[in-house]
Amino acid sequence: MKLSRSLIVYSLSWMALITALHGTLNLHWFENAKIGEAQAAKFGVGFLPVTCHLTCPVTDFINKNMTGQSFFKPIRFSGWPELKEMFIGRPNEMPASFILAPMAIALREQGVKIKIVYLGHRDGSAVMVHKDSGIYKTTDLRGKRIAVPGRYANQRMIVYRELKKAGMTLDDVTLLEMPPPDMPAALLSGAVDAITSGEPFMGQTELDGYGRVLFQAKDVWPGFISCVLAVSEDAIRDHRAEIQRLVNGIAASGKWVDQSMDHRMEAAEFVSKNYYNQNPRLLSFVLSKPPDRVTYTRLAPLRADFEEIERLGKETGMLSGAAHFEDYVDDSFAAEANLQPASTFEDRK
Amino acid sequence: MSETAAPALAQKGEITWDQFVLPGLVGMFFLAAWHFAVKFSGSDIFPTPWQVATGLMELAQRGLLLRYIVASLFRVSWGFGLAVLIGVPLGLVLGWFKFAYMALNPFIQILRPISPIAWIPVAILWFGVKDTAPVFLIFLASVFPITVSAMAAVQNMQQVYLRAAQNFGLSGISLFRRVILPAALPQIITGVRIALGVAWLVVVAAEMIAVNSGLGYLIIDARNAGKRYDLVVAGMVMIGLIGLVLDLLVRRLERFDEVRWGYGQR
Repeated sequence: MKLSRSLIVYSLSWMALITALHGTLNLHWFENAKIGEAQAAKFGVGFLPVTCHLTCPVTDFINKNMTGQSFFKPIRFSGWPELKEMFIGRPNEMPASFILAPMAIALREQGVKIKIVYLGHRDGSAVMVHKDSGIYKTTDLRGKRIAVPGRYANQRMIVYRELKKAGMTLDDVTLLEMPPPDMPAALLSGAVDAITSGEPFMGQTELDGYGRVLFQAKDVWPGFISCVLAVSEDAIRDHRAEIQRLVNGIAASGKWVDQSMDHRMEAAEFVSKNYYNQNPRLLSFVLSKPPDRVTYTRLAPLRADFEEIERLGKETGMLSGAAHFEDYVDDSFAAEANLQPASTFEDRK
Repeated sequence: MSETAAPALAQKGEITWDQFVLPGLVGMFFLAAWHFAVKFSGSDIFPTPWQVATGLMELAQRGLLLRYIVASLFRVSWGFGLAVLIGVPLGLVLGWFKFAYMALNPFIQILRPISPIAWIPVAILWFGVKDTAPVFLIFLASVFPITVSAMAAVQNMQQVYLRAAQNFGLSGISLFRRVILPAALPQIITGVRIALGVAWLVVVAAEMIAVNSGLGYLIIDARNAGKRYDLVVAGMVMIGLIGLVLDLLVRRLERFDEVRWGYGQR
């Protein structure tokens, strides 16, 4: 049969060609073969391309440049659901992840065996409105549509907290769940009246000239926590040394980032290029205007902070209140991490 | 019939000027409409065709365009290839054996309408974030159209072929190889062609999983990258253009004698 022979020959050749090309160009088979088995043994750490997770790529980059290779594998996701599914579904491959604090607490309430071991950042969120809108204070939000990143996002708590201060409730506004990357376009097109998420998506609207800050998290809720580093309990039990090393690395690189504006600009440059695929201008902007827009020190998990999140979570219906600080936090890694000096890294350009 | 159909098809195979001029004119009109629509609306976010072209150039210069095309083609090739390997035999069996049809058809009809996007959590839980997860999603999207078309092809086969074959004493494997398969082939090829379109269609959804390459990933990554909607549209354009090439390639299958007889005059 002419057809079947042609089909078999062409199909097999095509499969061999495309597999070889993919292996060479994207999976780097030949380079990995040289590096050897060490590569395969690394554990994964999940993160999203947002400033709340900045220390993950910074630690990886510093390790690679100082010691030749990193001891963990940063796995970049594009959205919360996929990150969460990998984290709770395949803890052997990805035992640690940067994750929203209320999401980590909610997962614990639902019986997922994870512990928060360190914070990802402090501050670094804002509520933005269109610059031409008539919204200048919290009470102007009455009857407006506000985009929040998701059900378990702390930004929902910021909105609730501010409305409460102004004598309003969540019923006075309409909250819409929206992936943060879509928020700037939604604000520009008028699909929503206000947006709130982690950076750099808020800064982007300012940089592009149509967004105005209604309030910054750092001003209304000093020390605000959105994302934390959570680890599976199995990994804490079986790989304590590696987890300690990861937490130490996050602490040291956080201190390095906060050490000087030069370091912040360096981080903006190499993280944008190598990890986030964003214009470095965007990260430079949110890491510098103002310099304390988001900070990476004081990252030990503290009881008072989490009890406030727990309380707000219950009041907003996000959390059931079934899990408490000692259930979802393991702060035994923080003491050693806090003693870490800042990384002694200088980018050799 | 074959004598009259052959010259008609041979003519179709020739390249004529209007095959390029007509779509070219429509394409130019579309690009101009797109350009002026963006200009007149004053949109700062939606890119013009020229911005998309520069975006594509930038990707090509950074070596990403080739990498992403290869990654997507790799995933679609494996997902779709496995779907053909499993879907065609399964469809033939279901079409021929009534009890197999009665037992399995309800489950196929239950699984068939479930969008690959709904399978993403399952794919991550089963396969993690390696290439196997998107390959699995593409497989799921394309295996059902192939199975159903192969099944229908056998069920709708003209009885006269079967009776003639039985008169000649054919049965078992030789009946299958010499009568059933050739009779069903034209309809199977049509199903395969539709399934390839579907497989390529779900590449964006499949690459929402944390892979770090591919045209679907390009679109999702560009959304994360701030105001890079030129790259979003560039990804869309590339998916469309490669889809066209894939369809042209599958159409070449229809030129084989084994398939051509089933298409009649048109």
